[in-house]
Amino acid sequence: MPAMIRRYLALLVKEVDQLRRNRVLVIQLLLPPTVVLIIFGFALNPKVRDLRLGVVDESMTVESRNLIDSLSQNVNFKVTRIYMRPEDAEADLKRLDLTLFLVIPADFSRTLGRGQTPDVQVVIDAVDANTAQIAKGYLQMALQAYNAESVMTPDVGPRHMLQLVSATHPPTPPGVPEVQPAYLYNPGLVTAWYYVTGVMSVIMFITASLVASALAVKEKETGTIEQLLMTPAQTGEMLLAKTTPVLVLMMVVLIVSLLVGIVVFGLPVRGSVWLFILSGSLAALAGIGIGVMVATVSKSQQQAQLLTFFVNPPLTLLSGATSPLENMPDLFQKLSYIDPLRYMVTIVRGVTLKTAPWSALWPNLLALAVFSIILFGISAWRFRKT
Amino acid sequence: MKKIFSQAWKEFMLFRRDKLLILMAVLMPIVLMLLAGITGSLRLSNVALLVYDYDNTPLSRTYLETYGAALTFRMVPRRAEESPERALASWRARAALIIPQNFERDFRRGGEPVVQMLIDATDSNAATALGNYAESLNLSFALQNGITKPPAKGVDLEQRLWYNPGLSDRVYFGTGGLGLMLIIFPALLGALTTAKEYESGTIIQAYASSLTATQWILGKAMLYVVIGLVEFVLCFALGLLVFEFRFPADPSVLLVATVLYLMAGVFFGMMAGNATGNQSAAIQAVQMGSFLLSLLLSGYLFPIRNIPVQIRWLSFFLPATHYIQIVRNSILRDAGWRISYLPIVLLIILTFAFFFVNVLQKRTMQFKG
Repeated sequence: MPAMIRRYLALLVKEVDQLRRNRVLVIQLLLPPTVVLIIFGFALNPKVRDLRLGVVDESMTVESRNLIDSLSQNVNFKVTRIYMRPEDAEADLKRLDLTLFLVIPADFSRTLGRGQTPDVQVVIDAVDANTAQIAKGYLQMALQAYNAESVMTPDVGPRHMLQLVSATHPPTPPGVPEVQPAYLYNPGLVTAWYYVTGVMSVIMFITASLVASALAVKEKETGTIEQLLMTPAQTGEMLLAKTTPVLVLMMVVLIVSLLVGIVVFGLPVRGSVWLFILSGSLAALAGIGIGVMVATVSKSQQQAQLLTFFVNPPLTLLSGATSPLENMPDLFQKLSYIDPLRYMVTIVRGVTLKTAPWSALWPNLLALAVFSIILFGISAWRFRKT
Repeated sequence: MKKIFSQAWKEFMLFRRDKLLILMAVLMPIVLMLLAGITGSLRLSNVALLVYDYDNTPLSRTYLETYGAALTFRMVPRRAEESPERALASWRARAALIIPQNFERDFRRGGEPVVQMLIDATDSNAATALGNYAESLNLSFALQNGITKPPAKGVDLEQRLWYNPGLSDRVYFGTGGLGLMLIIFPALLGALTTAKEYESGTIIQAYASSLTATQWILGKAMLYVVIGLVEFVLCFALGLLVFEFRFPADPSVLLVATVLYLMAGVFFGMMAGNATGNQSAAIQAVQMGSFLLSLLLSGYLFPIRNIPVQIRWLSFFLPATHYIQIVRNSILRDAGWRISYLPIVLLIILTFAFFFVNVLQKRTMQFKG
């Protein structure tokens, strides 16, 4: 037994020495958790605001200007220009200078004056379906507010005051049950928390697989693997010695990411940090397993890197790190169960944002453990064959 | 010109020998585009909703039916003795609806019963959408059951959703995905081939030959641009099949832009290869510089205008930003040269900038060599 440990330690010293000299690796390890995480957190922002709204005012009356005024007070819209002809607005919409435009017809104030309901038309650039839908909703709300405020006869004084207070929400008619939404775990609705917790795991996993595949294939490429095979060390010991420093480095990456999350984005850590680290190391092991597996099937560094490039994006997309799993088609939801990253992302969110009960966390932890054992086992077996 | 072609031919012979590389260059874009396009959907559906109906009266059940009828929600059974907080914390549901006792009685009395909706806001964007959705369901319940008259109509809204009347996100993510695929792989191949020359030392042979730097660069790039065009055709076919692409009325804009874009990608990759002279570092550089930045900042996922101003300027320097705009213009908006000329000009500038950096890199190399 001690001989085995001695051999392992000797190999470990060799690996650490090799890693220390590798400058590129240091950049590879430290850049993603800091710079990328910060860019991700800030750049991925699905909140829609400042929609550029053009208005074609064919009516040019006090009433139409009132409508425009009430829209320009709305925080969600930025009225960029008032047009005289719809063709000009159309051209600007095509040029992407506008997201939507409103056409107020020539008989707008006359129809209003007669006590009838005038139609205004809105044209929305719906290429981005998500933004278009939100824009439509905003405009409907804004119009409802406008209707409630100015068109409905202001018969009672106090009621009118009340409506002014909640200008963005249309007043609910009396008698309707009221929904009181309570936002748990993220009451301030900080978008970055969602992405940062997801991307943190992704970065760690991808780096683990890239670094492991690079290290494993390097010996093969330079031919030094022959020298290693001549030593009394077993392939298992070799693999362990190779992965130990990578695993330690990945933990550093993970902790740096968590610190960036806490310091830059104010991420709360409500659960146990140990669970976070445990699941992180299991996920890193799975990532290393994938990396080594890829290395054993490829002949050169180039092929290995390309293959990891092929394996990682699907794993990332199916993990639910950036888009909710429920939105995906059924088949893809089922596929996500064979993605180890999915469990990691779930645990990270459970530990940081939620205080998920142990009964909900352990199945994820178990799945992660099973995946890392299987992946690592296969990679050890494949590594032996080479 | 002949020299450029013979350099390109040499590259082709080299490329042909690597079967794995060919397979990946062709298959990867298709698989990735499919995955990225399908998983990217932002529309909520099938959200698990737990219901706690403490009233259990005809009215409360009618109220619940409104939620059950909406495609957004999927009701999940509640476990006995499980608190809503615990159910949400263990991912059993995304939201919980709590109807209090005396819901119907309060209502008949003319009071306004309060219904609580607990929402898991881990994904804050989805949470906001769910909250708004619940409110509109609430209103529609009231309207349907004649509890309230429709609000007095002052101004009526007529909507026209242009270019994508079905509000399908597939079109959006498919066109973005096309742009993304065409920047990753050509850049990657360009980076690999250049870095490989440095690694194996064969770059010296290029120095020793009568090739000028420009000829060497163009010859190398030509093959990868052609491969990129093959990828473009495949991805476009996939787009027609799966992502509801339409054939542009004026395909010339799209074709010119595609060639420019592929050149920009390959030149960027070669730039990375020249700078690092090491295959794995070059791959890393491409992964960061073209894939990740394009994914985040090119308007693929979320509109560029949502990005904070401090980093928004970065997106201007990404070829993907301009290309994706052109793709969406031609495929979805049927816009021709008049609309797309600005992004094309910017694309040309970026392509030439990357090319000149390459030439500069090679000039200095030759002095050293």
